[in-house]
Amino acid sequence: MLRHIFLAMLGILALAGAARAAGDIDAMTHADMLAAARGTEVRWHMWGGSDQINAWVDGYVATEAEKRFGITLVRVPMDAAVFVNKLLTEKAAGKDTGTMDLLWINGENFRNARQAGLLYGPFLDRMPSFRAYYDPEQSRYDFGFPVDGFEAPYGRAQFVFEYDSARVPNPPRNYAELKAWILANPGRFTYPQPPDFTGSAFIRQVFYATTGGHGQYMQGLDTKLYAKNAPAAWTWLNEIKPALWREGRTYPRDAAALDTLFARGEVDMCMSYHPAHAQMKILEKTYPGTVRTFVMEEGTISNTHFTAVPFNAPNKAGAMVVADFLMSPDAQLSKYLPANWGDLPALDVARLPAEQAGAFAAVDLGAATLPAGVLAGAAVPEIPSGYLELLENDWEKHVLDQ
Amino acid sequence: MARPLLPLLLPFAGIFAAGLCLTLCQSLGLFLPLGSTGPTPEHYATVLGSAAMQRSFLFTLYVSLVSALGSVTLGTGLGYMVWKLPARLRQTAVVYKVGLILPHVAVAFLVLLYFGQTGLLASLLHRLGLAPTPQDFPQVLYAGDGLGMILAYMFKGTPFAMLMTLAVLFGFDTRLLQTAAMLGAGRFHAFRRVTLPRLLPAMHSAFIILFLYAFGAFDIPFLLGESRPGMLAMRVYDIYFRKDLTERPQAMAILALMFAFTALFTMLYNALARRVDDRGRKL
Amino acid sequence: MSRALTLLALAVLFVLPVAVLVLQAAAPGWRYPDLVPADLSWSGLAQTLRHPAPMLTALASSLGYSLATVLATVAMTMAPARFLAHASFRGKHLLEGLLLTPALVPAMTYSMGLHFVFIRLGLADNVTGVVLVLSIAGYPYMLRSLTTACVHIGRDYRTCALNLGASPWRAFLQVELPLLLPALAAGGSVVFLVAFSEYFLVFLIGGGTVPSFTGYLFPVITSSNRGLGALVTLIFLAVPVALFLTLEVLLGGYFRRRGMR
Repeated sequence: MLRHIFLAMLGILALAGAARAAGDIDAMTHADMLAAARGTEVRWHMWGGSDQINAWVDGYVATEAEKRFGITLVRVPMDAAVFVNKLLTEKAAGKDTGTMDLLWINGENFRNARQAGLLYGPFLDRMPSFRAYYDPEQSRYDFGFPVDGFEAPYGRAQFVFEYDSARVPNPPRNYAELKAWILANPGRFTYPQPPDFTGSAFIRQVFYATTGGHGQYMQGLDTKLYAKNAPAAWTWLNEIKPALWREGRTYPRDAAALDTLFARGEVDMCMSYHPAHAQMKILEKTYPGTVRTFVMEEGTISNTHFTAVPFNAPNKAGAMVVADFLMSPDAQLSKYLPANWGDLPALDVARLPAEQAGAFAAVDLGAATLPAGVLAGAAVPEIPSGYLELLENDWEKHVLDQ
Repeated sequence: MARPLLPLLLPFAGIFAAGLCLTLCQSLGLFLPLGSTGPTPEHYATVLGSAAMQRSFLFTLYVSLVSALGSVTLGTGLGYMVWKLPARLRQTAVVYKVGLILPHVAVAFLVLLYFGQTGLLASLLHRLGLAPTPQDFPQVLYAGDGLGMILAYMFKGTPFAMLMTLAVLFGFDTRLLQTAAMLGAGRFHAFRRVTLPRLLPAMHSAFIILFLYAFGAFDIPFLLGESRPGMLAMRVYDIYFRKDLTERPQAMAILALMFAFTALFTMLYNALARRVDDRGRKL
Repeated sequence: MSRALTLLALAVLFVLPVAVLVLQAAAPGWRYPDLVPADLSWSGLAQTLRHPAPMLTALASSLGYSLATVLATVAMTMAPARFLAHASFRGKHLLEGLLLTPALVPAMTYSMGLHFVFIRLGLADNVTGVVLVLSIAGYPYMLRSLTTACVHIGRDYRTCALNLGASPWRAFLQVELPLLLPALAAGGSVVFLVAFSEYFLVFLIGGGTVPSFTGYLFPVITSSNRGLGALVTLIFLAVPVALFLTLEVLLGGYFRRRGMR
């Protein structure tokens, strides 16, 4: 323990001079990267709101990175919007050697980072795992914005609602029933405050549900259409507001805060962007065993999440080695186990050798997780990120500040 | 004459004063990550003109005033009571330092543990049959009135006020009280006319320090604050870190206004306190 | 009666929370409506501590920059405190008041303006920048403590040593410094607490690169893992207490040896 503290101190002191002489990173093959990455440190900046995910990264990923590649993986908890903002500031300040090596990113944060030239790439085609096991079509777009090889898919997620079947025997099946349920059970429902990822996803689905579905929005941002349709969503959200937890005067800051309210029985419904999240919480003994999940008749949105490398990452080779490892069947399987995380694999199981494919098929997602068929049947695509930002900003104006 | 002062004046000017200047410049649209767009007063106009922002200001003022006042009252009272303890029992009072040592973050955790709708107090009321379900427990946290933050600040502030009061009381000449008693003053009268006036300067210091801290701090609002009206520090954080870079001058304008307000408040308060103290010390 | 009341108030306010934290750390599953934990097994604690590395790193980092901040504030205030204690000049009170302002005004007001410039100067995202900005927030306490002590001690000891032929350095090191030790300990304790408890400045200037123990606690608080939250909070209490006790013992021993007490 003392040794550990001492080493940590040394590590911190050494950070200042972490710039490494790297060969021409653009010309490196994966084998070159492996060689260059041995004995280095990779700092992975990622959302830190889930203990379970943090434990998976600190445990499985860090251990394997050390064992397989001699890489010391350091997880740095930080919201995506915050690190994108930080990169923007660094770019403006001309800081060519930054401090972040790998990012967990998607959606509007990816678009903003990409448009401002904050990301290194394209690198995806040089990733052996991607070439071997992934369907390039599946991750061509991220919230309607072209990926172009600047981020590496490492998981898929789909939005689900969570409820305790012991407390709510008949959960709502669509948004009309949800509204009726909320009004009939005041104080028992709320959603995380956008721009929280999960809360933002919830209002997007309300937007879909109250304005006639997602199809009309898929061609990119149409401000006229938005101006015409958005008020219906605000009306819906304002109508439920007085019946929300704390009368809608305050919203849980993030999804973890909502989980906590739900786990303690202060609200009766919860939501997650991870279909197996409830099962994971049951296994963790935070949720009672009677918790189940459901999706709406109108469908629930699904997306892919990615890792990316900043333009000024001090250890790009190491970052790409880790990004590739995260896409590998081993990591994808470990991540898929509900006791670890329960995140849906981003890879195409059909491209795996039979034995490995069998291992994926054998994963028991638990009673609280909906069968893959039900999820797939309900999946609707994410909205183009231009809409997303308008929705988040206007929610503040039309709902929060009302 | 200034040479011995240099090790202090340099960082004071180069970091603290320079930081303030930079905040001011950026609030006017200068020296921004995206280049200069000013000087312009427009960001002040945006901030001052926003009704939501005005509500945030009043709310911040309310939370910091109530918590500072509560801490000073409670801390002075407790300090006085500890001072009255016989010497051998006074040793035990050292436990109050727990509140001084714990950081605000940890205190926020304690408040959640105690006052959440499924917290410890809710369990207690449940056991007593007063609040059978979590919904029957009064909404202490996140109810829109800042009570959770006030509780947290008071838990930190009370021991601080105790520290300040006890420092005065332990150096206090008790013969003054004996004289007052001989002159026929009752205990309450003696406290009001003899002890209290001597405590007042320490109480004023404690009040102003606690008020200013609560007015500008970030930790407690982040953890215990409501979404709206929202403490000013939270509004600054949201604009700075979660919004577009073009809105950054607004965050800086709020900060500059906060600085101006705290400076003005401190000066006015000190002037006022001095007059009150002078009146009280005539005895 | 009033004695009992005083002791009760102290116990409820300051002892009970610590007891609650110990129980919560020992029984992470303790929740509503149990008034006392149903399952006190300590096995929960092992679960909490499955991956101790990030926590220990954060703790070590916080300890490191907090102690560095204490040293920095001593370096910044030693000469000025001795000067301010004995010199008299026009505007001295104003200057003293001005020098204390960093402890009063919200740290956000100056640190956020600095952030962008610190990035340009290479002071952001490293320990140097963090220590610099923490020293600004903390030095007023050290200055106050040292100035008061210098006034209290007076200049006679030093004059005496100089008259006996000691060099100015020797007079400082062997005469003044030992006399100032209690003030250094008091000021250092406060500066340490300020730095160790700070979240925002480390988050802003350290930018996630410099881990902090407060930063470690932040996400834990809103998560449903109360056992870990309680454990971290207890460490927050234990570390400074241990440091202060050690300091007290060391100082006590030093003064006994030198026959100064």
